Amino acid sequence: MSETMATVLPDSSERTRQLKRRPMTVRKLSRLLPMHLLLIVIALVTAFPFYAMLVLSVQPGQPIQMPQALFPTTISFDAFIETLSSRNIPRWALNSAIYAIVSTVFVLLFASMAGYAFAKKRFPGREVIFWVLVAMLMIPYHLTIIPQYILVGDMGGLNTMWGMLVPTLANTSAMFLMRQFIHGIPDELLDAAKIDGAGEFRTFWSVILPQTKPILATLATFVFLAHWNDFLWPMISQQSVENHVLTVGLNTLQEEQVPLATIMAAAVISFIPTFLVFIFFQRYFVRGVMMTGMK
Amino acid sequence: MTSTTTRPTLPATPEPPAATPPRRRRHWWNSKEAIAGYIFIGPMVLLFAVFRIWPAIYGIVLAFGDYSLRRTYTFIGLDHFIELFQDAIFWDALKVTVIFAAIQMPLAMIVSLGMAQLCNRALRGMGIYRSIFFLPTVTSSVLIALVFMWIFSGSGPINALLEMFGLEGVGWLTDRFWVLPTLAILSVWSSFGYNMLILLAGMLAIPTEYYEAASLDGASGWAKFWHITLPNLKPALFFVLIIETIKSLQTFDSIFVMTGGGPARGSYTLTFMIYDQGFGYFNFGYASAAGVVLLIITLALSLIQRKIVGKND
Repeated sequence: MSETMATVLPDSSERTRQLKRRPMTVRKLSRLLPMHLLLIVIALVTAFPFYAMLVLSVQPGQPIQMPQALFPTTISFDAFIETLSSRNIPRWALNSAIYAIVSTVFVLLFASMAGYAFAKKRFPGREVIFWVLVAMLMIPYHLTIIPQYILVGDMGGLNTMWGMLVPTLANTSAMFLMRQFIHGIPDELLDAAKIDGAGEFRTFWSVILPQTKPILATLATFVFLAHWNDFLWPMISQQSVENHVLTVGLNTLQEEQVPLATIMAAAVISFIPTFLVFIFFQRYFVRGVMMTGMK
Repeated sequence: MTSTTTRPTLPATPEPPAATPPRRRRHWWNSKEAIAGYIFIGPMVLLFAVFRIWPAIYGIVLAFGDYSLRRTYTFIGLDHFIELFQDAIFWDALKVTVIFAAIQMPLAMIVSLGMAQLCNRALRGMGIYRSIFFLPTVTSSVLIALVFMWIFSGSGPINALLEMFGLEGVGWLTDRFWVLPTLAILSVWSSFGYNMLILLAGMLAIPTEYYEAASLDGASGWAKFWHITLPNLKPALFFVLIIETIKSLQTFDSIFVMTGGGPARGSYTLTFMIYDQGFGYFNFGYASAAGVVLLIITLALSLIQRKIVGKND
């Protein structure tokens, strides 16, 4: 984990490598110790809610007494068994997975197609269309969500998977990043493909896309997590219980006064994919943050 | 990170079309390249026009009209806005929104900057610390809200800690005074990793020579931070500032899950009012008018950002 974060922040990795070469002296250790202690304390505070979630999920049926609640003497997985055998929660997890995975695939496809055309194709209106798309990022989501609800309702998409999914596919920040990246691919590569007789779609599929793997991976983690964690639109567009995604379902559990351990077990289940994606694709996610954050 | 990937995402200057090799002029309708271009942007533009542009325009149109559940629209001009400006609930919501941003933003800036400074050193295991600090950023806001509800509940760990020190517990989410600071703490906890990373990247871009020169002049650590780090970090700081402000204006999930706008509308923000009017009472027009106010505030902030950052570039 530490390696991945270091490779994305180049200077620090360089310095870490230098650091590793030098032997550690006692004096140095005593100087570094307070820094480590401070960082450990902050890390513990940051990680505390995750710890609390785990601890509460393995203590079903017990009165929540502080501070004993935080140091469980007995561990029981009853809440997990109950959660997983309930009709709804596996269903919600499946909905979340479909919503996140299918959206990611199509966002990546459409964003890279459009990014490619905006970077490498000349056609009338290219700049105008592009800047209209990017400028719309300024419109607050909360203003558009009511018309979007009316529109999807008129199309008969409320309470359907496509009605939830399709409106989220026009991801212009993804398109913007793709365009910036594809712009850096040399034109010679495209010309070579053309000389080899590759058609337009073939050029895109087997020349451009393989070149964009790093950014595709970055966007995939970003989009997957954003959709897995999405709440407002899935809640508004899906009223029936079996169509909820996990985040919406979690909230209904809370409203229905389900025992805390069950809620926390469901929370742990919803957290697992996030955590796995974060651990394995952390490097890409960090890169994504840097790309969106730097001017 | 190569130079191609770190370049900006926010509108810089458009690349000149000269990037593509010049070729014979032809009418676009029989230019294969143009047709291919339109086909490639087709799906995105179509989705975008239907699900982004149309709703944005219709959102503004709705604000100037009445939309009943029988799906008829009548233009009523500024009536919603006049009503809005006479509505005590709207002014309360605006007040709550501004107070929340005023608490959340400085807190977020101080914590993010402090953490970036703390993490900006070569230390064994630093990658692991950073990963932990970054984990809340990727976690679902609903999950975070649920856990924080327990942490800040009357018999939760925060109050238990206070009582251990002989202090009286606080109704973090049930007391009108404490609810906004509590939501602000949650918001800072869940986003400082993101801001920290942006500031950290900004710090790493500052040439080390500056610091070495300052060291030769005998500058203290604090002086270096004040005279080298901060001035060089300005663009990154403004970016974080504006992003955080817009995010705090649009906070919704945690409020919806934890307080439902309460207690006694103590956390009833503008976004919550839009939701409440829209999907609670189905006053689509009235909700959209509040949405237009949010749009204006957001645009104003973005313009300010452009002005300030533009000056620094």
